[in-house]
Formats: sequence, structure tokens, C-alpha cells
Amino acid sequence: MSSDASGGFAQRAHDALGNRQLHIALDRTTAQLGMRRSTAVASLDNFDGVRDQARAAKMQVLRTLGDSLRRFEEQLIANGAHVHWADTGADANRIIVEIATRTGVRRVAKSKSMVSEETHLNGALEKAGIAVIETDLGEYIVQLANDRPSHIIAPIVHMTREQVGRVMHDRLAVPYSDDTQTLARYARERLREEFLQADMGLSGANFGVVENGTICLVTNEGNGRMVTTLPRVHVALMGIEKLVPTMADLDRFLKLLARSATGQKLTVYTTLIRGPRRAGDECGPEELHVVLLDNGRTNMLAGETAEILGCIRCGACLNACPVYRSVGGHAYGDVYPGPVGAIVTPGLRGLDRFAELPGASSLCGACRDVCPVRLDIPRMLLALRHQAVERTPQPFALRAGLKMFARVATRPRLYRAATALVRRALRARARNGWIAKAPGMASGWTAFRDLRAPAARTFEQQWRERQASRHRG
Amino acid sequence: MSDARAVILDRIERALRTARIPAVGDAGARAFQASDQRDAGARAFQASGVPLADRFVLEARALGVEVFVESTPEAARDRLRTLVAGLRVLSWNRDRLPYDCGAVVGEALPGSAPREEQAHADVGVTACHGAIAETGSLALISGPGCSRTVSLLPPWHIAVVRHEDLLATMGDFFLSRHDAMARAANCTFVTGPSRTADIELSLTVGVHGPGKVTVVLGP
Repeated sequence: MSSDASGGFAQRAHDALGNRQLHIALDRTTAQLGMRRSTAVASLDNFDGVRDQARAAKMQVLRTLGDSLRRFEEQLIANGAHVHWADTGADANRIIVEIATRTGVRRVAKSKSMVSEETHLNGALEKAGIAVIETDLGEYIVQLANDRPSHIIAPIVHMTREQVGRVMHDRLAVPYSDDTQTLARYARERLREEFLQADMGLSGANFGVVENGTICLVTNEGNGRMVTTLPRVHVALMGIEKLVPTMADLDRFLKLLARSATGQKLTVYTTLIRGPRRAGDECGPEELHVVLLDNGRTNMLAGETAEILGCIRCGACLNACPVYRSVGGHAYGDVYPGPVGAIVTPGLRGLDRFAELPGASSLCGACRDVCPVRLDIPRMLLALRHQAVERTPQPFALRAGLKMFARVATRPRLYRAATALVRRALRARARNGWIAKAPGMASGWTAFRDLRAPAARTFEQQWRERQASRHRG
Repeated sequence: MSDARAVILDRIERALRTARIPAVGDAGARAFQASDQRDAGARAFQASGVPLADRFVLEARALGVEVFVESTPEAARDRLRTLVAGLRVLSWNRDRLPYDCGAVVGEALPGSAPREEQAHADVGVTACHGAIAETGSLALISGPGCSRTVSLLPPWHIAVVRHEDLLATMGDFFLSRHDAMARAANCTFVTGPSRTADIELSLTVGVHGPGKVTVVLGP
């Protein structure tokens, strides 16, 4: 499950566009999720006001991140939890393997955690001889198929139910079925035993509440409750940015998260964890460990993309994005896909390796419109494009061409003459109003899309005529 | 490990000198300061004049929760008796259930029974520490006699809810149950039956948690 930058985004996107199965699967889901979100948003009075408040809370946390983390740690310890700090993904994995070894853990049951995908935790545990099983239905199927998740909240959005049926048939020796109810029952039966046998439960954290050290976890299936209730050790792995200041803020974020992610008013199970089991409790872990992970987050904080650390991983921007909806999650080459991934992945793994990702956007702004925290994703994509261009020497032809364009564009008379020429040339090539292949250097543009033929008269000409006729009228 | 802590905190301080964190508008800043007051949702709710019980029942049923509204303690108890007749019952401790429902589940397995036995129960019976009208959620705070497994392991969860458990919003719950939450290791909001939509968004109930949730709402 390593990150896959091979071939680059353009190549992977090109492959994805030719994958018919993928298109069926994406069409069946992303539009649906988008519509459900719209309906759910309408069910909340003053949705935009809540978004403003949530945004304010997140930006406040980032501005005071050091102090917030210290206070959060203090509260966790007061609640009886153990706190660990991990600089890199490898450090986080090492810490978790150490906890497992020290407490004699043989089996780990995991609820969905994007951060553990980011650190490739499963591989590290298996290398240490510890069995690990994913318990979120989608993640379980990903694990069975030896695949990778392709959506933040719907990991197997790229698979059809027929494909899921074949994976379960092959790997679990159960009769083939494409009935989702049956497939879910197979998973329930297999995983029930895992929950009861596991020594360690591993989860992420949707939110950490600074004022009282609460870890908040939401799941629809109940696996999040299982792994934090049944095993004797619970480890929560979370990025250092997942904090909210107060319980009142948490309330607001919960209102936004489920609505934006799946169109529910609230996720089925919202679990608030305040420490290991207390005296007299019949269940709950004896030990609670919280691992706070940096892994490139402070690098993001230092620059133009600091704002993306306010992301609550709802996935709404994926469903809204015309690029994601066409190419799916795997094309982005790492664990976080879509518009948010195009910013987070270069931040975590390096812009040099993923310089193409900020370009995987038409900058239409649909992501910003649906973001529950109102993150200005297009601004950050542009900032990263700018950085990528500054870092890489550009070819001579491009530099010379742009210099020439600048010279022409800043001289109105020359510009008008030049555009008139180009307009005439392009109109001569058009068939039914479209140009399929542009000549010379412009052919790069039409390699991926058709070009609309220019209008017969420019906007400026039409405007002047309109004004003139008004005066006459 | 303490090393990593110092390194990360130091890096954060340096990062914050160059971080571009957008300024927050007035509306956001005001809201942030007022964050510990009763939330706007609850106030709007009160203004609407809809009785809490009506809203709770409406929301819960929309989620697929079966709801019985009973007007007397006896009726609530009888309802529970009918529901669990002949079934293997797992239950919160008898003294944790309202309306003397403990008498109905007298022979039930307790949350302290071996896990394997609990896992084979047909139904789990709990009370609740709050019923959230706005979302149809049941709030369950862990503690002695209130095992989390009861609402989690069996395929069917029945909650006996008193009228006085009803609250408008989750924000209200956070304020009014502040102390109880601080004492407990875990607080869970159950909003409908366990479900997944991982396969082509097709709704499937009862994946890991109970696929059936029933509320007996008493006086």
C-alpha cells in the first residue's frame, strides 16, 4: 500500500478515463453523495453561519497550535491516557509496534483511519508479527483485495458491487453474491470474531477537544465503538491538526461533518472518549494511548497552505470536483485524493514528487463552495502551482513565448491587431463551431480538449455597438 | 519521545511566524467568543414551539427506529415485557432501568457476563442519559451497571426513555450532563440502527452494531 507516483498524474488520469468499470462506479456514487449533501445542508438553520463559526474555531486552533496541543496533552494525561509524539510516519508506526510488543498484543482490530494509511501502519505491524484487520466494511474489502482506498469516506467508491462480490467469493470462500445486504452479512460474521479476539483496537480521531481532552470518533457501522470498547488496549492515531477548542465547537463540527460527508444529520455512532475504563466499568480498554503525528504538517503550517490543516476530511470536495469525478481517487497517487489531496499530498510527500497534482483542477471553485470549513482550496492550488513553477526551470520556448505575450498584451493597439489575426485563423479551422486540432505550439492545448471557435465579433466590438445604439435610442 | 515533542512544538512556533492563516471575519470571531453559551439551535428550537417528544419521535422514526409512546410506567413496562418475551436478554443493571423495568429483565445477562455469552444475546436493554430531539439520538454514558456492550453486541437494542430524558440538542446535552460526562470514560450518541453505504451507496443496516433499534418512550 505504498504511495504510487509512478507514471505521474497525467498518465494515471489518462488510464482512469479509459476504465469503464470505474466510470460506472463513480457515476453511481459521487453525484448521489453531492445531492444528499445539498438536501442535508438545507435541514440545518443557518448552515452558513455554522460554517463561519467552525472556520473561526479551526483558524484559532492553528494560530495557537503549540499552546492548544500542550493543553490537549495535559487534559489527556489528567484523563488517564498516555500521550506520544511522532515526528514522522515511521516514528508513529514504531511507537505503536512498541506499545503492542510491551502489552503482548497479537491481534489488532482497526477502525477506519486515514492517518494510518498515510503512515502505512498495517505493513509495519505485520512485519512485527502482529495480525491486523480492517473492520470498516469498505476498508476490509480494500484489505481483502490488496487494493488501496480511493475516497476519504467511501474507500471502495471505485468498485462495483459485482467486483466486491467476486473479491469476497475468492478470498473468503463464500458463495458469490452481488446483493449488498448479503455481502455486508459476510463481513459482519467474519469480523465479529475479530472484534472479540483482538487485544488492541486502533482508531483515528475525527476531533480532539482541547478544553477537556475528549477524543471524538464517528462511525456508521459501529466498528469504531467495537475497537474502542472490546480490546484491552486502545490506540488513537491522529494528526496534530485535528483539534477543536471546546465542546460547543465540537457540537458545530458534528453538525457539519455528517451533512457534508454522507448527507446525514448525524453519523449513527458518535463516540466521545474521555480516558481508559474507570473503576467499576464492565468494559472499555485498560490502556488508552494517543499518538500525535506531525509527518509534514508543520511544513504545511509554515506557508501558503496552512489553511488546509483546517480540513475535517468530509470528502465533500471530492464529490463536487469535476476532475475527481472523472478520474477517481487512485489517479492522485497517494492516500488523500481530490482537491484536498492535491494540496495535502504535496505537503506531506513533497511538492517535487507531486508537482502535477495542484494542476489537476479546473479552478472552478466547486470545492470551496461545498467545504464545511470554507477552505479556499483554489487559492492554495494556485499558490502551489506558483511554487512548482518557481522551483523548476521552464523551457526556453515557454519563457520566450510568455515574454512575447506580455509585450503584446500590454500594448492595446498591437494586442487588438494580433487577436484579430488569430481569431481569423482559428475561425477558418473551425468545424461546427469547434476546433479539434490547433496548429503549431497551440496543439498542446487541443491534445486534451476541443477549442470553441472565437465569436465573429469581439466582446469589445459588441459592447461599443450596443452603447452606440442605446445613445441613438 | 519527549525529544519528538520538543522538536514538533519548536517547529510549530517557527512555522507560525510565516504561516498564512486567513483572518476570521467579525461573525466568526463573535461566535467563537460566545461558544460556551446555549447554542443557537436550542434557542431556535424553543422558539418553534414544537414539543420535544414530537420532534424526537419524528426524527427517530425517520432513521428507522421503532418507537412506542406509552403514557404510564405500567404501560412502558408491559411494552418491554411483550418485546423481550422468550428472548435471550442482555441488560444494563436492573437499578439503571426506569419504571421498574428491572423486574421485566430479571433473568437477563448483565454487562459483566463473559463476552462470548453477551455476543449471543438476542436483544440488549438500556435506559439512556439523554434523548436528543433534534436528531433522534440516544445518549449513553458509560459507568458501572451501564455497560457499553449492551447497546453494541446484540442485533437488537431496546432503550427505555423517560420524558424527562428529552433534550432539544446535543449542545444542550453537553451543558446539562457536563459533570456526568467528565466522570465517565465514554459517552456515545446512537442515531438510528448501524448502517453502511460503502458498496455503491446502497443502504445496508446492521453491519456491526444493532440492525434494529427500538425506543419505549414513557411518561
